[in-house]
Amino acid sequence: MDDTLTIAGRSFGSRLILGTGKYETFELMRAAVGASGAEMVTVAVRRIDFDEPTEDITSFLPEEILLLPNTSGCETAEEAVRMAKLARAGGLPDWIKLEVIPDPRYLLPDPVETLRAAEALVADGFTVLPYMLPDPVLAKRLEEVGCATVMPLAAPIGTGRGLKLRDSIRIMIEQAEIPVVVDAGLGAPSHAAEAMELGADAVLVNTAIARADDPVAMARAFRLAAEAGRAARLAGIMDEQETASPSSPVGGTV
Amino acid sequence: MTTVVVNGREQAVEHGETVARLLDRLGLGGRFALVERNGEPLERERYADVELASGDRLVVARPVAGG
Repeated sequence: MDDTLTIAGRSFGSRLILGTGKYETFELMRAAVGASGAEMVTVAVRRIDFDEPTEDITSFLPEEILLLPNTSGCETAEEAVRMAKLARAGGLPDWIKLEVIPDPRYLLPDPVETLRAAEALVADGFTVLPYMLPDPVLAKRLEEVGCATVMPLAAPIGTGRGLKLRDSIRIMIEQAEIPVVVDAGLGAPSHAAEAMELGADAVLVNTAIARADDPVAMARAFRLAAEAGRAARLAGIMDEQETASPSSPVGGTV
Repeated sequence: MTTVVVNGREQAVEHGETVARLLDRLGLGGRFALVERNGEPLERERYADVELASGDRLVVARPVAGG
């Protein structure tokens, strides 16, 4: 069955997006990305520290994978716009995972700065994927200014707590006319499946895979979970019932 | 020789040295070296043409692991 995810006119066979942070080695990251089937991965952008040179992460990623630079580390719209422009000028895609996060304890995004940055970046020709609290009203505003997706957090980054903000995400999914990518806080494959069953268009996972005992096996588990959740969503999930109904015939008991 | 500032540190460059040449000397010939010159992002296509001037302030960044 043809069930591709389309973001800003680009098609993806996989509905699992991976973050590349927190892996013990780039080799392990590469293997996990391969096992996940992801066609898009996020990267951060940082100044080079000439005292501690590191390997080039992009040399560990296949050319056909879409690199999605993020604006992590930015606390204002201006900083995020600057970082996005630097990334694009240097040859990275003009797609940007917009993160404007002033709060280090919970890493919650600033909605006002995110909207301001989104507006400026869309006007400048970027394909903008904003990380956001699952606020359905903000989601519509981000959609109206031309964002390619909205990316609500399930729970704070790195917590692995699952769909803590489920009801708000459900309303966003109901109202959105652009893809909804649940990003952050998914700790187990069941969380990813739940997000997909709820109707999310994709999920973005980093810590839960990178910090698993076996990241490659966990990447595969998330792949299967995202596929299962999506398949279930398309198949039509039964309504919950208050009382039991037998699955076996009620008569003819011997 | 003249001096520019790269990521906050003084760096000697030859007269007329291009951004591409400097990146090469710094071992940054990889897939992506991102450059901001005097507060403005520099297009990769221009690295080989833009000659550094004394006092230029460069930010050199690149993609790293992140979520």
